[in-house]
This record gives sequence, structure tokens and C-alpha cells, in this order.
Amino acid sequence: MLKFPKSAALSVLALTAFANPAFADGDIDAGEKVFKKCRACHAVGEGAKHKVGPELNDIFGRAAGGAEGYKYSKAMIAAGEEGLVWDADSLTEYLTNPKAMIKGTKMAFGGLKKDEDIDNILAYLKSFSTEQAAASEAASESAEGAEPAENATAAPAADKPATETALVVETSQGAFGLGRKAMPDEIAAWDIDIRPDGTGLPDGKGTVAEGEPIYAEACAVCHGDFGEGAGRWPVLAGGQDSLLKERPVKTIGSYWPYLSTVFDYVRRAMPFGNARSLSDDDVYALTAYLMYLNDVVEDEEFELSKENFTQMRLPNEANFIADDRLNEPHYAKGEEPCMSDCKPGPVQITARAQVIDVTPESEGEESSGGSID
Amino acid sequence: MVDRTDTKQAQPAASRRSFLKASLLGGAAVAAGTGVARAAGDPLITEIQDWNRYLGEGVDVAPYGKPSEFEAHVVRRSVPWLTADPVSSVNFTPLHELDGIITPNGLCFERHHGGTATIAPADHRLMIHGLVDTPLVFTMEDLKRFPRENRLYFLECAANGGMEWRGSQLNGCQYTHGMIHCVVYTGVPLRYLLEEAGVKTSGKWLLAEGADASAMTRSIPMEKALDDCLVAFKMNGEALRPEQGYPLRLCVPGWEGNMWVKWLRRLEVGDKPWAQREETSKYTDLLANGKARRHSWVMDVKSVITSPSPQAPVTHGKGPLVITGLAWSGSGTIKRVDVTIDGGRTWQTARIDGPSLPKALHRFYLDINWDGSELLLQSRAIDDQGLVQPTKNELRAARGENSIYHNNGIQTWHVNTDGVVENVEVS
Repeated sequence: MLKFPKSAALSVLALTAFANPAFADGDIDAGEKVFKKCRACHAVGEGAKHKVGPELNDIFGRAAGGAEGYKYSKAMIAAGEEGLVWDADSLTEYLTNPKAMIKGTKMAFGGLKKDEDIDNILAYLKSFSTEQAAASEAASESAEGAEPAENATAAPAADKPATETALVVETSQGAFGLGRKAMPDEIAAWDIDIRPDGTGLPDGKGTVAEGEPIYAEACAVCHGDFGEGAGRWPVLAGGQDSLLKERPVKTIGSYWPYLSTVFDYVRRAMPFGNARSLSDDDVYALTAYLMYLNDVVEDEEFELSKENFTQMRLPNEANFIADDRLNEPHYAKGEEPCMSDCKPGPVQITARAQVIDVTPESEGEESSGGSID
Repeated sequence: MVDRTDTKQAQPAASRRSFLKASLLGGAAVAAGTGVARAAGDPLITEIQDWNRYLGEGVDVAPYGKPSEFEAHVVRRSVPWLTADPVSSVNFTPLHELDGIITPNGLCFERHHGGTATIAPADHRLMIHGLVDTPLVFTMEDLKRFPRENRLYFLECAANGGMEWRGSQLNGCQYTHGMIHCVVYTGVPLRYLLEEAGVKTSGKWLLAEGADASAMTRSIPMEKALDDCLVAFKMNGEALRPEQGYPLRLCVPGWEGNMWVKWLRRLEVGDKPWAQREETSKYTDLLANGKARRHSWVMDVKSVITSPSPQAPVTHGKGPLVITGLAWSGSGTIKRVDVTIDGGRTWQTARIDGPSLPKALHRFYLDINWDGSELLLQSRAIDDQGLVQPTKNELRAARGENSIYHNNGIQTWHVNTDGVVENVEVS
């Protein structure tokens, strides 16, 4: 075993080193990259239409709640009526923490943590706005004058003494003395997994009825209004009694063993392209709604919560078994394989890929060939 | 049949086509050609070629380097109808064009669930927490200060061959077997990192999580984690490719590819498995009786002939023919590979060439003198545990046709008298 001297038990990790000064001029190309976070819900550019969120052409100079044909939250309409017009300042504030600025906004996005990202995205959006000149000026002022909103660890203001923002961290006590002790807030930020026994469930609750509009807005575009799946997107509901059939439909109700997996997965990875954007209550409500779509509960007022979660059972839980492949006859017999006269007569062809003909780049390509998962 | 002339690979395809035509003309043409050659000679020899007269490109034209322009057809390919969206999808390694046992990094198949995450190494963190004495956070710089190891391992998706359960369907070993690659990983043994944090005696399971938009998670038993798992940052000597988890991935040797979490950012120690999406709704093997196997981690003993195969037909006519392929087992090394040319009536033991390393690809060859008659080619691998690769019908008898995963059945290629190859099944 290698022995390494233990390094000092304490070291100072100055997080200020990672903080970037606010950029007066954002970069359009970099902003286009940041916009990937937005494009699941927002369109911008030629022919942009409202999606989950309003289209963003000419957002600079637009009154809040002012895009025609988009159904805004009451809060956003009220903000517009009170005179809020989108410019570099207001957009910076909004994108930093949407719900803090417009309490009740429909936008599920949690906000951009880096000032740099905000500057870049504003530069990108500005390139689709006719009020470019005015906006550009405003952006400079904003960058120079505004106190950026901060979260706990990122982007401390440059004028604060370094000692206030530096974090004292403990190094590892292991054989190598490498790494540092993880802080409770850091663990909490990443440790979002849920187990079937309920370990990891956050406080919260939501009803079937509350889940329905969230599902309609965030999920139905891929999974269908009733969980039936659009195109080849996953089917979420139905399929009961299909597991013995030629094409089983493996859904939450027909196949999944544990409800905790639904909560865990929706919270960590959905909606596709906008992960981690739902609140815990939203996820409880969505999970309740998915139970309802699968006839696991039938009451629209059913409320799923941290307290009653582990009492819920999915129908197929008992049908999962341990891996017993090695007991299968072809493995278990353990014979030396045959080398000669292994088949009685000439070998016949029993199936041909050309007949099915679903290989890419051949004609007659179609989606009839099963799936990989 | 994959028609090479339709694949937008004008140059190589054309040369192959003319080659094939020439061979189809048969002996007479060759004899005539010999006469012409004696008079005038092969112009490629008798005439001075451009590349022999004019200067080629200097150094630094391609600072990284790239394959010859004549190899432009050697690429990963996808099957568009398989998945809903290319962001959460898969493509396939062109096994039929490769030899040896190392997969070039740019040809390693891709499977990701939320697109390829772009993470600067300086922004990457690996956290170990849960049932440990000290929860730890490592930077990439920290990780590169641990002792490291180099290991050659195959990585196979458990769904490799999953489209073939109901019968032969895709015409090419790229599609039937291409969800596999084999590279040399450089990384830190996972047990060093776990020991650094100090696993409590109650810690029996590990949850590995990726930093990508799917936040991929899998439960791994502690015994495996402490055995041969690696936390890798290099593949074939260079940094991991972005699509393979740059800057950090987990290697779980011999076990299904989905567990090799890419963009690895978190390892949680616990006392029970987590029953995540990829180990309940996916990567469980539905049997004919409606039961489903879970935790079927080990990749089975398996082999496939990569050439001849549907995308690599025999173009040279009868005479010497190299039959070659790959064999592997998640349980260890390959002890033997047998090959049949008559659909399984008689078998010959193939020659394994190159290194034979546990949980790595093995390259085999059978050098025959083809008489020009039809062939039904199969290969059958036997590993050092004595496990023999089963037939597809044996698998169906044991599991039905709805398992999707772990299809390691013997593959049959039919070679017709023109050298054209098709994916078939036999009695």
C-alpha cells in the first residue's frame, strides 16, 4: 500500500476565485448555448411561435405579459399593468430568480446562477429585438451598477473582503489526504434520490387534480394526454395484462415495481430538456396524477404526500425476481459443445432479415422492428 | 441487404462496386486481363501517379489527425426508428470495418439519455457521501493524484441484439452487435476513493450518478465496487470523449454498459439498492411467464463474425478467405471460439490472436479456402468459466421473446455464391 503524507487538515478554499466579474457585453454565441436551457419552452428567431412559454422576438421593450396570443399567469399580467417593461435590468432580475421577482409566474425555470450566462443570453435575445441600441446601453448600466442577486455560494460581490466569502474546508482524513469534506448544503443539493422505503422523500404534497394541469403543460406533448405516448416517446399508462403478449406495454401501472421510482425520476430528469424545474409539490401532484392515469387511485381529490407515500403500492411489484440465468438449461447442462454431426441433415434457413427489411439505408424502412428499451 | 451504392460514400463504394463487377466477370476476364497486363501493365504501376509526383500536405494540416478520406464510410450509424429523439438515443460501432480488439475512440457507440453534457474539467466535482466516515468532494485534480491503473475492458449495452429476439431483422453486424466497444481505460480504482471516505460496515450498496440532464443513476453492490471498478478519465490514452462521459466515467467491468455512469459526479453509499428507473422499468428482463429478472448485471459469453457479414460481403471470389470476429464474456477470458461454415453441423476451433484479457474483446480468425458454395457462418464462444454461448432458440425456449436485454444467441450469416451476406436464422 502506498503511503502518502497527510496534508494539513485544514485548508482554505477561496470560492472567490471562481466568481466572474459581470460582463458588460455578453457574447451572442455563448448566449445561444445558454439558451439551450430555455428552448424546450421558448422559441426565438424567424417564425418563432409560443410554446410552453411565449416566443421571445422583440422581448426588449415588450411589456410584461404583452405577447399576443399567449396565456400568461395572472401575476405576469398584473406586473405588466403596473408598468413592467422588459429591458436588460428587469430581465437580469427575472432570469436570476423568476419566482422571487414575479411571484406566481408560470415559468418553472429556477433561474440562471451565473451573471455571465445572463449577460450572454441577453446579448443573444437582443439580437432578435429591434430595440437593440437602447437595450445595449441598458445592459452596460446594469452590469456596472446592479448588485447581482446571489445564491449561497456563487458570485460574491467583488467589493466584499475576501475573508468573508472564503470557506474554511476540511481535507480528507483518508490515507491519501485528497479531496475535502463535503458540506451539508452540498450533499443536500445533489442527494435527491428516493428509495422504495421512502428514504429521501422531501416534505410536500399534491393532489391528482393539481397534477392534471402540470401534466398537460409539461408532459403531455411527449407522453400524450392520457399517458398513451406520442410517437415513440414512452407510454406511461395502460398496458395492464399485456406482459404475456407479443408486444408488452410496460408502463407505471403494468410493469414498474415501485412508486418511488416515478417520483425520483420525474424530479431528477423531467421534463425532458428542462430537468429539475419542478417543485417538490409539483412532483407529488404529478406522481398522484400518474397513479390516477394508471387506475392505482380513482379519486381526483386524492392527495399524495410524504406521509402516505410508502403506503402506496404498484400492481406489478411481486413479479420481479433475482437473476437466475445460470440455471437455464443451456448454461446448467455444462456439456462440452458438439463439434461434428451436430445436426441430422442439411441446415434450413428459417428466417431472413431481408424479408423484414428495416435496416437503415435500405428501402422500406419503417418503425416496426421492436425497441431497445 | 445494405446497398453500399446508396450510402453517400461515392468513392469507396464505387471502388468496391467495380471490384465486385470485376470478380463477377470471372476467370475469363482475369485471363484476358493478364494478356493486356503483359503488354501494357497495370497503369497504377506503369504510369506515374499524382501522389508520386506532387507534394502532399505538410505537418499540422490536421493537428489532431483524422482517418484517411478513403475511410469516410467507417462511421457510427443509428437506426432512426428505434428511439423517439436523437438526444436520448443510440448509435452503433462499425464492427465490420474494424480488426484487432481496440475500438478507436471516435467509433465507440454512443448511448445517452439527455444528450452529451459539456463539462469543463475545472467545473467537475465528484462527491462521495452516505454511509461513510467522511463525505468527500474531489476535483479532477484531486483524482489525478491517486495511484492509477490501465485496463482493457469491453463495454456492451445490455440491449445489444435486443432487436433480434423475434427473428433476424437488421442486416449488418454494426446493427445486430454494434452496441459494444473495447478500449484501454486509465483511472483510479474505485476502492481507493471509497477507502478515502471510509465506508461504514452497513454500507452494502453504491449509487452512481451522472451530471448530465438525465442524471443517470444505477445501484451497484459494494462487493463489485471494491473489486474491479475504475473511475476513469482516459480512454486509449487520451481524455474521455465527450460522448463517453468527459471528464469522468465509471467502469464496471463485465457488467452491462448502462451501469458505467458517464459524467460521474456522485457516489452514495447505502444499505439497500435504490430501484432507480434504469434498474426497474428498464434493464430488467421480462420472461415468458410475466416475471422479470432484475439485477441481471453480468454480460453473457458471446461472439459474432464481423467479416464476412452483411456490410462486409466477400468481393474476391473463391479461394483464400479470412473469417474473423470478436468474442467476449463478462465473466472472464474467452477460452475457445468455434466456427461453423455449414450452419452448425460441424465446427472448427478458430485461432485467437492478440491479447486474451478478462472482460475484454478477443479477436478470432478462421482462414479457409472458399470453394464458392453457399455458407452458413456461425461462431460460438466458450469462456474460462466453461459457459458456452447458447443458440437463439435455446434462449427463446428459456425466456420467450420479450426480454429485450441479454441476447447473446449465436448469430448466423448466410453467404451466397456471389459473396453477398445476409442475417438469417437456421433450423
